[in-house]
Parts: sequence; structure tokens; C-alpha cells
Amino acid sequence: MHKRIIFRIGALALIIALAAAMFVIGRGHTVYFDNKSGEYNGQEYTAPYRIDVIVDGEKVAKLKKSERGMASTMGQNFSMQLAVTQEKDGEPKNLSVALPLPYDLDGIVINLPALLSGLPRDAYMEEFIPLATEEEEDEEVITDETESLMGFGEEEAAEE
Amino acid sequence: MNTKKTDYGELFRRFSVPLMFVLICVVCAPISGLSPSYLANEVVTRMGRNAFLILSLLIPIMAGMGLNFGMTLGAMAGEIGLILVSDWQIVGIPGMVLAVIVSLPISILLGVFCGKILNMAKGREMITSYIISYFMNGIYQLVVLYMMGPVIPISHNSLKLPRGYGIRNTVSLLSMRQKLDNLIPLHIAGIKIPVATFMVVALLCLFIIWFTKTKLGQDMRAVGQDMEVARDAGISVERTRIISIVISTVLADIGMVIYLQNMGNIATYSSHSQIGMFAIAALLVGGASVDKASIGNVFLGIILFHTMFIVAPKAGTVITGDSMIGEYFRVFVSYAVITVALVMYETNKRKNKSRAGEQLAMEQKALEEADHA
Repeated sequence: MHKRIIFRIGALALIIALAAAMFVIGRGHTVYFDNKSGEYNGQEYTAPYRIDVIVDGEKVAKLKKSERGMASTMGQNFSMQLAVTQEKDGEPKNLSVALPLPYDLDGIVINLPALLSGLPRDAYMEEFIPLATEEEEDEEVITDETESLMGFGEEEAAEE
Repeated sequence: MNTKKTDYGELFRRFSVPLMFVLICVVCAPISGLSPSYLANEVVTRMGRNAFLILSLLIPIMAGMGLNFGMTLGAMAGEIGLILVSDWQIVGIPGMVLAVIVSLPISILLGVFCGKILNMAKGREMITSYIISYFMNGIYQLVVLYMMGPVIPISHNSLKLPRGYGIRNTVSLLSMRQKLDNLIPLHIAGIKIPVATFMVVALLCLFIIWFTKTKLGQDMRAVGQDMEVARDAGISVERTRIISIVISTVLADIGMVIYLQNMGNIATYSSHSQIGMFAIAALLVGGASVDKASIGNVFLGIILFHTMFIVAPKAGTVITGDSMIGEYFRVFVSYAVITVALVMYETNKRKNKSRAGEQLAMEQKALEEADHA
């Protein structure tokens, strides 16, 4: 009996630990990449001609000046390869960048020129806030897919 | 000689449903014009998608509880887990694992509830579990439609209805779509094999084989054969039956998570009800009956039922020019297969009962004659 209780508590603890691990390693983020010039505390940074962003071996964005790209990622450690072309017809310079992502943010905007200029985190990283759109029309909830079939056309006939 | 003939007849009757489906598939496949590689690809995908769910039906059959229409309870629990995980933005395989962990207590509770009610309705398990699934669907709708938002926190507007509470008709699972299927990528002759999903299914098959050899598994067999004899042998019949339903519900929960990761979205208010019917129909098409089913029936059923599912609408379009005919056909066939299986089961049961009665009467008569002599 004593053994059984210990086994059950152990199994429960294992499941809770597994759930906690899944919370940490499975947290998804949408990362937006900006190639925009700007200024931070009086220090200016300029956008290069083009930046290619490669995540997990896949090219996810080709950004010219003032353009934005995005990628979905899992976990709090984000790494990417950047191919930075400063001038038109110039040679791209390859860089590897790894940075931690805040757990509580779903969408994160990274300003690549600010990141490449070596500025602090709050200069190149901010939360993505979607623009407020027009109010959506209410969605009719369909709880029974056969509902329309069960009327045998009586409703349509009544409408006519 | 005579006995041999009877055996063939019995065999034919037992496998009449699979044979009928083989015939439908053989006739419809060439008419549909679908290429063999496309067909094979679709069947393999659907096998990965459905096998776990259908396997969840085996244990209650072993325990003599028939086809567990209550598996939809597990499916509902899986859906709730996936909705919550989507809101928490846990993606990929960790999202699937977390959805299973979160929904596990719900499916265990629902399984216990279902098992207790089925114990009160012995002999009428199938119809009772069918009605329980309707009842629980109402509770599910109450939770998902009214409590998610105000009571259970849901923060993402992409999940919530525009009115501010309740979950939308469709929930996107793009962040975990086919993550398990594509975990170990393998293509053979242009056919995509979901290796990781098959591995999970194989593990479940091994578990079922192992389980049937355990003490609990043997107890379930004994309960399935004769409850009174099992009780006399010291088996706790009620407890064993509840455990079988709990296992089935939990497996259906995990199966639903696997199913939906393959689909890539949840039809919030209808996925679970459809899944119960199609899983049961597929098992019966594979040659299973209400009181006997095996792992082989599951896989044969998936191949035949889903081949019919794929080719019927196309064949319907070619023959009649209207794809809806094929759509109606496959839905009608699903219901028809379940009905035929239930009728056959009931007929056999009555036949066996009357045969046993006749046997008893003959024995009594022989005894009386012996006494007179």
C-alpha cells in the first residue's frame, strides 16, 4: 500500500515535471525582422541595402530597406544566420546571431540594423502589437452539422 | 464434409462486410481515375491519422462492453487540451504532449463517469454510451461556448468568437500541423510515410498485446465472456469494466490529438462526434464484431474503409456527374455498416440463446427418458 502511494506520487511528479518542461521548450513566438534605419539615444543606425535571414537552414526573409519579414520559432533561444549586403552589387557578409526571446511575448519585432550596431536589447527588440482592425461581424456557431438537413427544406420554403 | 460446408458459410458470413468493401473498392477505384500512388499516399496518411483512435476501441470489446461510442468523450478532452495549448502558444510536439497531459485528468474523469453509468446499464452498454456521448456533448458545448473566456481564461482573439467569449467554429493548429508525422521524414516510391506516428501506433499495439497477457487483461477477457462466472472467480467485475472504459477514453484522447495534428485544425463543435462514428465503422469494416475485434481488424478496416472514402466521391462524380452522390454514399455506408453489425450481433446472440435452450431441453428429455427406463 505504502509502495503504491509512493509510486503514484512519483508518477504525478513526473507528469508535472514533463508538463513544465513542455511549457518552456514548446513556447512558440512569431519573430518579425525589420530592416529599418532609426535612432536610439542619439545614436543613429542605418539599414543596409539587403539582409537575407536564414532560420534552421531555410531562407525566411529577403529584406531590402524598410521591409519586414517574419518566422515562427519554438523555445526561448533563437538563432539565425544573416547575409548582410551593405551596398547594391556588394558582397554579402555572413553572420550568425543567437539571442534569447522573452517568454511572455507572442510576437517580437527585431530591428536588424539596431541589433547589428551592437545597441542594447530595448533598442532592437519590442513587442509586436497588431493594428486594430475593423470590428468583426459575429460568427454563427454551428454545433450540429446536420441541423440544416433536418429541416427538410421547410425553413427555405417558409422564407420564400 | 457437411461440417466443412457449414464452416465456409460461417466464414463467408463473418467476413461478408470486408468482402463487400473489397468489392466496392475494386469497382470504384478504376472508375475514380485516381492514380495508385495517390491512393496509396492517402491511405497511408489516413492510417497514421486514424489507427490510434480505432485501436482505443479494442479494450472495451475485450471486456464485453461492445463498441465504445463513449470514445467521443476522450476526443472532447483531447480537443479541450488542444484549445488550451493553442491559447498558451505552446507549439509543435511539446504542444501535443502538453495537450495530452492537460486533457488526461479530464478524460480519466469522463471515463470513470462513463464506466459507472455503463455498470448501471449492463447489457445495454452501446446505446447507453451513445447517449452519454450526446449528453457530454452538451456539457462540452457549455464549457467551450460559454465558459471559455469568462471562466476559463482565453487570451487570443484568434480563438475567441468576435462577441468576446466562446471558441470559434474552427481552431487553427498550424503551429503543430503534421509535426509528429514529419518528425522522421521518409518517402518510399513517392509515398510519404509518417514514421514517428507509426512508431507511436506500433507502441500502442505492443501495449495492447502485452495488456491482454496481464492479470487485468485476463480478468477483462473473463468478464467479457461471462460476468457471473468472473464474479464467482473473485474478479471485481464493476471495477474491471470501469478500468477498460477509462483506458479506452484516455487512448481516444491521445488518438484525437494525433488525428488533429495531422488535420491541422479543429472543427470545434463537430470533430469529436464524427470521429466516433467513423472509427467504429472502420473497425467493423475490418471484420470486427461487437464482441470480437483484433489489431488486424483495425488495419484492414482502415485500408478498406478509407479507400472507399477516397474513391467514392470521385467515382460518384464520374458516374453521375455529381460529387455529392459519392459524399452521401460514404456517409450512408458508414451508418449502414454499424447498423448491419449491430443487427448481426443481436441475431447471433438470439440464435445462440435459442440453440442453448434447445440443447438444454434435449438434455432434460434424455434424462427423463433415462429415468423412465
